[in-house]
Amino acid sequence: MKPPAQEPGLAKTVAELPRNLWTSIFRNPLPSSDLGRSATSFTNFFLHIHPVKVHQNTLRPLYTLGLGLISLFLFLILAVTGVLLMFYYVPSTGQAYDRMLDLRGSVAFGTFLRNMHRWAAHGMVAAVFLHMCRVFFTGAYKKPREFNWVIGVGLFLLTMFASFTGYLLPWDQLAFWAITVGAAIAGYAPVLGKSMQFILLGDYTVGQEALLRFYVLHVVVLPALMVLLIAVHFWRIRKDGGLSRPEEPVEDKPLYSMKMVAGTTGLEPGEKTIGLMGFVRGPFTKVGNVPDRSVYSWPNLLIAELFVFVLTVAGVLVVSLLFNAPLEEPVNIMHPPNPAKAPWYFLGLQEMVSYSAFWGGIGIPTIEVLILLALPYLDRRPIGVGQWFARERLLANTLFLLFAVVNVILIVIGTFFRGPNWTFVSPW
Amino acid sequence: MRLALAISSFVVLIVHGIVFYNQFFHRWERHQTAYFDQARALSKNEHERAELDARKPRIEQIIVTQFGESRVDRCVTCHIAADDPRFQGHAHPLRTHSYSTALGDAERNGRWERRHKFSDFGCTVCHDGQGRGLDNFYSHGEDHYWPDPLLGYVAQHGWRDDFRPQLLGIEYMEANCAQCHTEENFAGAPQVVRGRRLYFESNCYGCHRIEGLSDGTLGPDLSDVGKKFKLDYLWESIVDPRANSATSFMPKFNLNAADVKALVIFLKSRRGINYTETSLERYRARLGAPREIVETSAAPPVAASNVIERGRQLVRDRYCAACHKLEKDGVVAPDLSFEGLIRDEDWLLEHFLNPRSRMPDSIMPAFRFPRQDFQAMTAYLASLKTPPPAADSAAAYNAFCARCHGERGNGEGPIALYLDPSPRDLTKTAFMNSKTPERLFDSIRNGVPGTSMPGWARVMDDARITELRDYVQATFVKQPRRELTARRLPDANPVAAGAESAARGEAIYLRRCAGCHGRKADGKGPNSLDILPRPRNLRNAEFVNSLSDRRLFDSLLYGVQGTAMPPWIDYGLSTNDVGDLVNYIRSLNPKPDRNLTARR
Repeated sequence: MKPPAQEPGLAKTVAELPRNLWTSIFRNPLPSSDLGRSATSFTNFFLHIHPVKVHQNTLRPLYTLGLGLISLFLFLILAVTGVLLMFYYVPSTGQAYDRMLDLRGSVAFGTFLRNMHRWAAHGMVAAVFLHMCRVFFTGAYKKPREFNWVIGVGLFLLTMFASFTGYLLPWDQLAFWAITVGAAIAGYAPVLGKSMQFILLGDYTVGQEALLRFYVLHVVVLPALMVLLIAVHFWRIRKDGGLSRPEEPVEDKPLYSMKMVAGTTGLEPGEKTIGLMGFVRGPFTKVGNVPDRSVYSWPNLLIAELFVFVLTVAGVLVVSLLFNAPLEEPVNIMHPPNPAKAPWYFLGLQEMVSYSAFWGGIGIPTIEVLILLALPYLDRRPIGVGQWFARERLLANTLFLLFAVVNVILIVIGTFFRGPNWTFVSPW
Repeated sequence: MRLALAISSFVVLIVHGIVFYNQFFHRWERHQTAYFDQARALSKNEHERAELDARKPRIEQIIVTQFGESRVDRCVTCHIAADDPRFQGHAHPLRTHSYSTALGDAERNGRWERRHKFSDFGCTVCHDGQGRGLDNFYSHGEDHYWPDPLLGYVAQHGWRDDFRPQLLGIEYMEANCAQCHTEENFAGAPQVVRGRRLYFESNCYGCHRIEGLSDGTLGPDLSDVGKKFKLDYLWESIVDPRANSATSFMPKFNLNAADVKALVIFLKSRRGINYTETSLERYRARLGAPREIVETSAAPPVAASNVIERGRQLVRDRYCAACHKLEKDGVVAPDLSFEGLIRDEDWLLEHFLNPRSRMPDSIMPAFRFPRQDFQAMTAYLASLKTPPPAADSAAAYNAFCARCHGERGNGEGPIALYLDPSPRDLTKTAFMNSKTPERLFDSIRNGVPGTSMPGWARVMDDARITELRDYVQATFVKQPRRELTARRLPDANPVAAGAESAARGEAIYLRRCAGCHGRKADGKGPNSLDILPRPRNLRNAEFVNSLSDRRLFDSLLYGVQGTAMPPWIDYGLSTNDVGDLVNYIRSLNPKPDRNLTARR
């Protein structure tokens, strides 16, 4: 009789348990060779969005400033804290404010969660805008990345809209009147304005219907759209050849020449000359005639990402610890604050609206968005890519800087320099 | 980079530590632990001690559903000893809520029993504050965004310093007693009762509406003012009405602090909803005809001989002197103490029924008293015919003129603020010296219709009036009169009245005049705010109809010196243009049929 296969002893089973558990979860050991490092993108579900290698330029902190990643991580923080807040929130005019009081008063970590969600949301609007500025000033929207810029503009608008819809949910005076003002701005659009306002609010004024609509938009529709667009955005980054970078000098190397010989199975050096280039689509894949300045994503890119992540989380945590999210009086429809102000990122609009309702609220913003969307198709010269404030793009950069600065100034005026009846006040 | 990574990871860790510490070491837990310890020391038997040992700190709450919207009061999480009689005399928050017979608590066999049981009432029904919070800053309503801070215990940061201390004191809680105890003379809430009395005595009811109490329309509806506003706003609105609304014409009543406090408490008790009323009762009350205020109209007809006495009684009961001067003086409205010499009965009655029929910009409320009451009050006022003694012109000026025109003649008398048009500034040399002495004499003798300036013919004879005019001229006008140059003015409007002329006049008006006099010609154009004296209300029919064409032409062509009205002859208006304008202005002011109104 064959002796039974050696049963591992209990002691050994226990002793090996951690290692077995580890290897069952992580299919591969930590990479120790270049082969292993290149394999991480394929062997790990969470890492497979990464390329095997990235260009060194991608990792230069001062090139990207990590703004895209910051935006992503803020989005993730918002998703997590948002889901946790959803456990406590009821989108009803009768209960919403009480739920806020509960969050502040008795829910474990309630204040902190709300602070994180609030400040991360504000931070994300800012980060996405700055990211857009970065992309412009480095000329990164140029061919072949035009469409990714368009998606990015879409994400920027979605971010603002998501923030705007979330603004109403606490159902306090700040929320109510900010949304009243914001929705009124939408109402200034010609022909469709009033209908748009009605569809947005579900009523002629901000009320229960608006609260429910904003809630659904805020927790389902907009995040889903954003996840989709973010996925496409990232996919396009890889398909468009990674992050933008300065063009590198091409060394003139002779093409390999090969010959097709009848009766053989393969290519052999011989008569017919074909360029291997012919098999490669797209402009950026290396064919061997470009100096290889790329590094393995593992660990270089991952460390950078981790760093940005920890930094972002630390920032949000510290701000959330120091500053409490505002919660003003319960809604009082009869008692508007003076001035009633929109959320800060719309205060530039409100400032312009104070001069002309149509042009400030609809005309100029629409033109701005259209120009942003069309930008990569208007500016076709493939110069100055991959470089901050490239000299060749002085005019374009100046114009965009002007656009950004003017908008920021309008927001600053609207936020700090406007008092009762929208008169000019000094904050000091 | 790795160092930075390490540092930021450390920051993340630290913040987590702080947050977790805050989460798991609440102050209320410490209060509860202290309570358990002290209660254990006070407990008399093992059983009690065992029970206390078994208790762990947890959030305590009372859910109140009977009184308005349901409330969640977690106050007892910290004030856990509120209903434990052993903790009397301990320090807050571990202290027994006091027992009081005034609140209806009763002592039986050495044990107190509460009338208002906490399990039924919770805390915020009486105290206000924010029941859901667990942090005393938010729970007590010290956060300035919270609309209902603890009544009488918390004065929020940012309340005006000058009366902040006065907003503290447990008597403020009476406002909440009155939410259920709505009886008019509820002894448990003397401040509310006093405030309600003052509401009528100070004539607040004339302008303001409070559902079920009064229905004035001049001022804001105060039915739920206590829900809308905090104590400091209420106080401020009473003592300084213009602090919150620059255009308010509410008078500053001369109330002492105790009266203001009672009024504030009374107003704070007006929260719109009343817990004891059912919605059906409220609906019925609203359907019912508006109640006559202050006694009913069912009073028996009064014998003619008693009419004056009854009018006197009414004038006193309805607190006319809250504004006017009559026995008392409210320093808001004109002196009535010799009204019979100043106005006749027709004028008085019509003015009572609709004050703005005689003075379009008067702030006097149109009270909804029965007509026979007005008749009696009219009879009484018309019987007052004794002017105060005035030996010389100076005394006469002080007795008759200074209330409006001011002791120094600058038009800033004590009640000037409440008069529209405002009293003439007699020190304005340009104005005074551009008018003929005859015209000044006429204004004093016959008054200025449509304004608060009455005719003084029956108070003073012509000689006295002349003397007074000269006194004013000599005392207030700094420069001597110069000979007035004769102006070329038509005696009657040379342009025939008619729709065509009025239309031309309107076109000119909109171009030249509307900036100050307003598009509606009510004197409230956009520039009017910067102009003193204010532009005339050209829809003041009493006033406009009293003017001759010649005088209108004078003002339009040559301006009104000492005011912002320019001489339009210098700005290209021809006599015909002015004629059109005069026709337009006249067309705005149809002559009222006095006979018709008198017969009403």
